[in-house]
Amino acid sequence: MTWNSALMLLTVSLAAPLVVVAAGAVRVRLAAPAAILMTSLAFLTVLASFGTDNEALSVAWISDWGVEFTIRLDGLARLYALLATGIGLAVVIYATAYLPLHLRHEHRPEGEIIRFFGYLLLFMGAMVGLVLAQDAILLFVFWDLTAIASFFLIGYDRDKDESRAAALMALLVTGISAIGVLIGALLAWHELGTFDVPTILASESTSTTMGFAAALIAFGALAKSAQAPLHFWLPKAMAAPTPVSAYLHSAAMVAAGVFLIGRMYPLMARFEWMTTAFVVVGLTSMLVGGVLALTRDVLKHILAYSTISQYGYVVFLFGLGGSYGVKAATFYVIAHALSKSALFLTAGAVTEATGQKNLSGVGGLARRMPVLAIGSGMAAAGLVALPLTIGFFKDEFYFAAAWDKGPAFGVAAVVGAALTFTYISRFWLGMFGPLGRNAAVPNAPSPLPGRLVWPIVVLGATVIAGGFWVRPFADLAAAGASVSELHHIELHGAYHLDTRPENLMALATWIAGLGLLATQRVWWPAAMAFSRLGRAIGPERIYGLTLGALNELSDRIHVFEVRDLRSRIASILLPAGVLVGVAVYVTPNSSEFEVGSIRWDDAPTVLMLGLASFAALAIALPRDHLNLALILSCVGYSLAVLYAFQGAPNVALVAVLIETLFTLLFIGMLILMPRSILRYETARRTEGFRLRRDALMAIISGVMAFSVVWGVLSKPAPTATAISEHIALTPDAHGKNIVTVILADFRGLDTAGEITVIAITLLGIISLLRIGRLR
Amino acid sequence: MTTILTKLVARTLLIPSILIALAIMFKGYSDVGDGFSAGVIAGLGVLLQAVAFGVDELDRLPLVRYAPAGTFVGLLLALGTVFAPWVGGKPLFTHSPGVGEHVTHFGTLEFITPVLFDVGVFLVIFGFVVGIIGAIGRAQTRVLRDRRRHDDARARQRAAAQQAGGGQ
Repeated sequence: MTWNSALMLLTVSLAAPLVVVAAGAVRVRLAAPAAILMTSLAFLTVLASFGTDNEALSVAWISDWGVEFTIRLDGLARLYALLATGIGLAVVIYATAYLPLHLRHEHRPEGEIIRFFGYLLLFMGAMVGLVLAQDAILLFVFWDLTAIASFFLIGYDRDKDESRAAALMALLVTGISAIGVLIGALLAWHELGTFDVPTILASESTSTTMGFAAALIAFGALAKSAQAPLHFWLPKAMAAPTPVSAYLHSAAMVAAGVFLIGRMYPLMARFEWMTTAFVVVGLTSMLVGGVLALTRDVLKHILAYSTISQYGYVVFLFGLGGSYGVKAATFYVIAHALSKSALFLTAGAVTEATGQKNLSGVGGLARRMPVLAIGSGMAAAGLVALPLTIGFFKDEFYFAAAWDKGPAFGVAAVVGAALTFTYISRFWLGMFGPLGRNAAVPNAPSPLPGRLVWPIVVLGATVIAGGFWVRPFADLAAAGASVSELHHIELHGAYHLDTRPENLMALATWIAGLGLLATQRVWWPAAMAFSRLGRAIGPERIYGLTLGALNELSDRIHVFEVRDLRSRIASILLPAGVLVGVAVYVTPNSSEFEVGSIRWDDAPTVLMLGLASFAALAIALPRDHLNLALILSCVGYSLAVLYAFQGAPNVALVAVLIETLFTLLFIGMLILMPRSILRYETARRTEGFRLRRDALMAIISGVMAFSVVWGVLSKPAPTATAISEHIALTPDAHGKNIVTVILADFRGLDTAGEITVIAITLLGIISLLRIGRLR
Repeated sequence: MTTILTKLVARTLLIPSILIALAIMFKGYSDVGDGFSAGVIAGLGVLLQAVAFGVDELDRLPLVRYAPAGTFVGLLLALGTVFAPWVGGKPLFTHSPGVGEHVTHFGTLEFITPVLFDVGVFLVIFGFVVGIIGAIGRAQTRVLRDRRRHDDARARQRAAAQQAGGGQ
């Protein structure tokens, strides 16, 4: 195994959470610096990888099934790794100041910060692994790891119901849809016989199987990117602490969705219905997210709906395809992640300074917090695509791609962009500008620590720098898009002062956006009505109803099953009996059930079996528990004698010992039972319907066991060969007692597993009897 | 209910039961028996002590006091024989000496690794049985004590009520 930059990056990223937890275990204060150190290290590893080799590195993993541990730092991986670690670094630095304040607000111990950074960096590691993975199964593993890490991050404030519900929702939506990715990978394997992603992409198969594979993978990707109609988990996930929202919902988790589309694009672009679906889903998300973002008052909710809408752009662009679509989409991800993470961090900083979470609670903060205002202003300018920001180019490419496809798409693109212009302006001007409803905040904002401000400024400055020097960003996007398109792509951004369609569309967007800002009174009722409609019949409501119904169903089954011992046994034996009955009935089995002849020397066997059967039937008679235990032991002893007659002294010895021990322990346990229960059970008579029902259940399960045993005993061929093999091999194992040799040698691993279970059971029983309430 | 006779028999049988258990275990490869039966036999010997003398008496027998902890020693020993060959680069559970190699004998006892594994099994089972006897016995003592207290309290209440009734 040779070290290359991909392996180095993966190692650093996956080691990061462990280093943080270890540092935190030494001293709580060390966790935050360790997190900064490891994130910087990962970021520098990505930066250092430019211009170096990008060879794939492959290690055999599950070679029987063709699963390999293959990673490669290609253009697309580098782009997303850069976002994950770079924006990750800004967020981690911000969080080192934010989290102590957050924990103090919540009255939680300082040490919980370790958990936060542990999961945040675990998420980063999973994200890096995801973008590097070149094997579909490896990709799925990291994909699921991001979902798990996000569950713990979103539910970080575990004392709050809201956080836990949001975490569960995110896990269910992204986790269940992740199964789609796995099934997609398996379908592709079924068709092509490989999990290797480049091979899957290079194949040009357009069979139905591959269509299903593409659709299922796209389903997982769209759910992760919070696209309509599975967008509802994202606004709920805002219950997480702000750094989590800034990271997961700008540069990482939702970006993972569009990353997967980018990675699998050659597979998806093969099917025209697929790209059409992308256009429809993208446009819907863009418009739904945009309109809902206009109606929200909570700062982070505005940004959450904005994210849905922005990733709608990206999916829309992937759907448009053509000469611009993919590279425009890839570039869009970069520009959006920079701006949106800065705006999320701004929302957190403003809330921290003023104590207000809502847009209506703040206003006119520009004079009080000029640095924050400028930093976030630069980011907001990028998102609304003003010239001299990187965002201007994202919209130029976006307009070009839409216009390329047709005027109708161009109009839709302008509408979406105008909505973005409006809600982002409303967001920024509402906080810092004169638009705020109460321009004078009642309490002067408290001064913020520097680490809550300057990561925002750095991100904002990057947005501006991209407006002046777009080349590195365009190259990065082109390298990524080349991977998605499977051939080399160039992307150039420049300002043109002429009347090309992109420029006119940008102009139209600004005018429409300003118009929307000015006419808020006109559209406000309509937008609110749409929001109410969504709440009443939207997908979130369906999710809630489904979850509630499933819970109810599970509760009912549970209540039925655990009502008493009888129903618990019945719920296992009865379905098993019916299924076995069906199986026995439908399989051809005339030769399976043989009745042999009984000879004179079978007499001891018949005698003992008769005794055992008699005792087994007699169990139904006594009412008190002591007699029950004794008759039960009678069955066991009869069988032990039977083994002895059959010439199996070892088995007979074990049977006698076990029967003795169990009977004694059984009687010992009876003393522990509350007398009232024993008396009640003894006195109870089962009559009428219940008696007939219990008898029926007993007969069904008895017939099942009988027919299974009979069937097995009629065809003892395979076990017989195994046994004769064991007998033949016993001298080689230096033994004479076959049973012991089987236990300690031939099937020794089974024994090892069983004694492990016994040891664990002992722990369980001792702790149960020590603390359990048995009276 | 425990007479001097049961006590005598119980105490007399403890050492033989453990000796028989050890014999059965070590001769397991050439004769009837294995670590599992040995563990149960020794455990039954201990159960007899618990019945005759009470559970608290068990703690006074050093062999018995450490038996539940011995479960985990036995587990480690058994798993050690499973994994030791693996550390040496051989498949799991490769016993030595191997097929056809010379085996040192001491009477019927063979010096081979499966016997070591069986000793582990014996310790696990013996510890399990003794541990459960102890746990159930202690729980019984507690339950019976609580019941007696409960009955006493009730009897006192009844007596007090009767007294109050008689005073009227």
